[in-house]
Amino acid sequence: MSVEPTVQPTSIKKRRKTLLGFVPEESIFYNLHPATRLIIFIVSGFAPIWIDLPEINIAIIILLLVLFTVGGVDLSRLKIYLPMMVTAAIFMFGIRFLFPAYESGYIPLQVGPFTVYYQPIFWAFISYWRIFALVFASIFYFSTNRESDTLIALRAFRTPFAATYLMALSLRSAGMFMEDFSIIRQAEQARGLDTGALSLRDRIKLYTMYTVPLFSIAIMRATEVSAALFARGYTISGRPPGKKKRAVYILTLHSFKWLDWFVSIFFILLFVVIVYLQTVHGTFRIEHSPMNHFFYNLVTR
Amino acid sequence: MLAVSVKNLSWKYEHATEFALKGANLDIEEGSFVAIVGPNEAGKTTLVSAIQGLIPHSFNGVIRGYVEVFGEKVAEKSSLELAQEVGLVFSDPEAQFTAMTVQEELVFGMENIGLTVEEIDERLHWAVEMADIADLLDKSPFDISGGQKQRVNIAAILAMRPPILILDEPTSMLDPLGKDFIFDVLTTLREQVAMTLIVVEHNIEQIAPLADQIALVYDGQVVKVAEPREFFADSGFLSERHVEPPEVTALAHWLREQRYYNGPLPLKMDEALSISRDLLKREVK
Amino acid sequence: MSGEEVLIQVSKLNYVYPDGTVALRDIDMEIGTREFIAFIGQNGSGKTTLSKCLNGLFAPTSGSVIVEGLDTRSKGIIKKIVTKVGYVFQNPDHQLFNSSVWDEIAYGPRNIGVPENEVEERVREAATVAGIHEEIFQEHPFFLNKGLRQRVAIASILALRPRTIIVDEPTTGQDRKQSVEIMNFLKKLRDEEDHTIIIITHEMPIVVAYAERTVALCEGKILLDGPTREVFSQPNVLAKTFVQPRQITRLGQQLGDLDLPPDVLTVPEMCEIFGETLSR
Repeated sequence: MSVEPTVQPTSIKKRRKTLLGFVPEESIFYNLHPATRLIIFIVSGFAPIWIDLPEINIAIIILLLVLFTVGGVDLSRLKIYLPMMVTAAIFMFGIRFLFPAYESGYIPLQVGPFTVYYQPIFWAFISYWRIFALVFASIFYFSTNRESDTLIALRAFRTPFAATYLMALSLRSAGMFMEDFSIIRQAEQARGLDTGALSLRDRIKLYTMYTVPLFSIAIMRATEVSAALFARGYTISGRPPGKKKRAVYILTLHSFKWLDWFVSIFFILLFVVIVYLQTVHGTFRIEHSPMNHFFYNLVTR
Repeated sequence: MLAVSVKNLSWKYEHATEFALKGANLDIEEGSFVAIVGPNEAGKTTLVSAIQGLIPHSFNGVIRGYVEVFGEKVAEKSSLELAQEVGLVFSDPEAQFTAMTVQEELVFGMENIGLTVEEIDERLHWAVEMADIADLLDKSPFDISGGQKQRVNIAAILAMRPPILILDEPTSMLDPLGKDFIFDVLTTLREQVAMTLIVVEHNIEQIAPLADQIALVYDGQVVKVAEPREFFADSGFLSERHVEPPEVTALAHWLREQRYYNGPLPLKMDEALSISRDLLKREVK
Repeated sequence: MSGEEVLIQVSKLNYVYPDGTVALRDIDMEIGTREFIAFIGQNGSGKTTLSKCLNGLFAPTSGSVIVEGLDTRSKGIIKKIVTKVGYVFQNPDHQLFNSSVWDEIAYGPRNIGVPENEVEERVREAATVAGIHEEIFQEHPFFLNKGLRQRVAIASILALRPRTIIVDEPTTGQDRKQSVEIMNFLKKLRDEEDHTIIIITHEMPIVVAYAERTVALCEGKILLDGPTREVFSQPNVLAKTFVQPRQITRLGQQLGDLDLPPDVLTVPEMCEIFGETLSR
């Protein structure tokens, strides 16, 4: 039987669908065990908290962009994040224009009719890049990992079955929810609802109305899902009869190779080192930033 | 030995006003393929739920009579025992598929019943072959069609190797190609696996050629059980209960009534073709 | 009788989904008054997409769909188009938003700004046509059985008074008796209320029994468009859509060498043909 029951999209054949979008069909990162990829995510996602230096955070972002291309992710998909970056910049810097927050020792700068102070502005600059380093680390993880990879990683870390299963079921339900949601929206339009022309109050009312069909469908589906789980011998604890541990077949398909050990240990050590350097020696503090020195000198001339 | 024995089973769901089953009786021989037909709300799903044990384990209600599976009462078995002895595939391909990849879905049931990794591996490959889903293993449920999901659901239950497999309207939510794939899987199972198959279907045309027995459920009771050709012989009885035979069978029925034809009723196309050719060639000469 | 006036004009319609999937290619068609049309084809062939373009839910990527003079590409046109073309979704649960049957049927007219006294008139009218009794006007749709929910969904579209009604899979999952009921109801809508009915379906016996015109789609293109009998008498072309005509038609087609016609649509028809041949 070589015929697919659905017509494949003619343009996108090389992607796998996930809840939030797509991941590439093939990627160099798939050579790593999902647990390793999760470790990379946790480290890269948390490390910037200890790093004030904007140079390093910007370098991290550039590195991630490089890894995106290496990993086979379509960079044009990142364009959707540009508006968010611009809005965040406007907000974070704009606040400092409106509320200069003067403290003694701050260098004043005159920008048109606004008096701003150098230190708060530079501090906003640092926070901005720190936040986006975290955001890009997340985007990177979710663009190269499917939901099941995260679940496999959690199982590899011996998370209790009930917890991972609950997560899996929630993700699956969320997916079904989203599919239903788009049909419900179309059904509303077919009844003459012009969402573009609604006032804000009406839009809020609209979202509460979505709950009616979503709940009916969810309740009916819940009975079916529980019947299906019964038929598959499911028990909440996941512990099979008479045995202490449940076999986890899916883990046997991924092996933790020397590369995984190397990368994982590297990242864990890197994280430990960063935290140590910052808390004990203050290596990444703002005083050590070349950019800071440069701009400071510029404004105090 | 009887795989299934339903004895005078009556069942009323907790909040219902009427009994869904009113003294249903059905005996199913081990290794046979039984099709269950009948109008909607007649009690077909209730009946198969009672055979699998969902009723009374998972639903509250009033029960009279009993169901035995391999000589033991269903009400007295545990849910895990039942999951291993009676598999049940439902009609909605989405609701049954709870994992995030095909592979995980296939092993879920096997892990639940406590198989070892080696046993799982072996049965996985066997079930994948039976359902012809080798190229789907790594895919997420959002990436495959309804028909493909349903085949995965069948494989997932098959992998638990229950001696009895029930399918409740497995094709009703699928497109024609999806339906064909499911009937192909059923044909494979019937020919290659020694198990008892019970299929509830509206699609009489495709299920009749596969069945050893057809049971008609109407108004809460099993009103007729017979081998297919005999089942379709009384067309008046069937049409009063809104069940139509396959079209070629109906044609042959008419030919019999008009005394043009005297042989057995055909259940599928090739039988009908050879009967037609015999009849018409005789005339053309 | 039918098709005196063109209600919907489709010219060179192309539709591409946001993720790049090409769903429709260069579709040309006309839909007239009092027609009963079936759209058939594999899942993914474009029949649902085409229907949603006819209803204004999707705007064409290129080409045009003109509904009773209204161009579906115009902004804000949806409120007017839904009064011309109604769309009943396959699962009634996706389109029941209110807590009473009355409010549900009234929802459409209220959305398009119909004054409340007229809303009442329309609701009563739609309920009568759909066979919904006054007793259930205050019931919550969730607690009705599936057949009634489907009727409420149809009534709520009728209340918008569209001339064309598209119904997605009216008989899937229904038994024979329920299928006949719903199809006879759609037929009544055409015969007595002058609607044009378009059904999207996989069930060939239904197509043959009710649709006078059949449109078969394959990979986004219209492969066949014409009287049902003609469409089903071309097995080779139809095979490309992976849609099979019903068993009795196939029997006739495979006995073509014995001079049986390729377009036998029903069992009684076949009986007649056999009868004629054998009584000679």
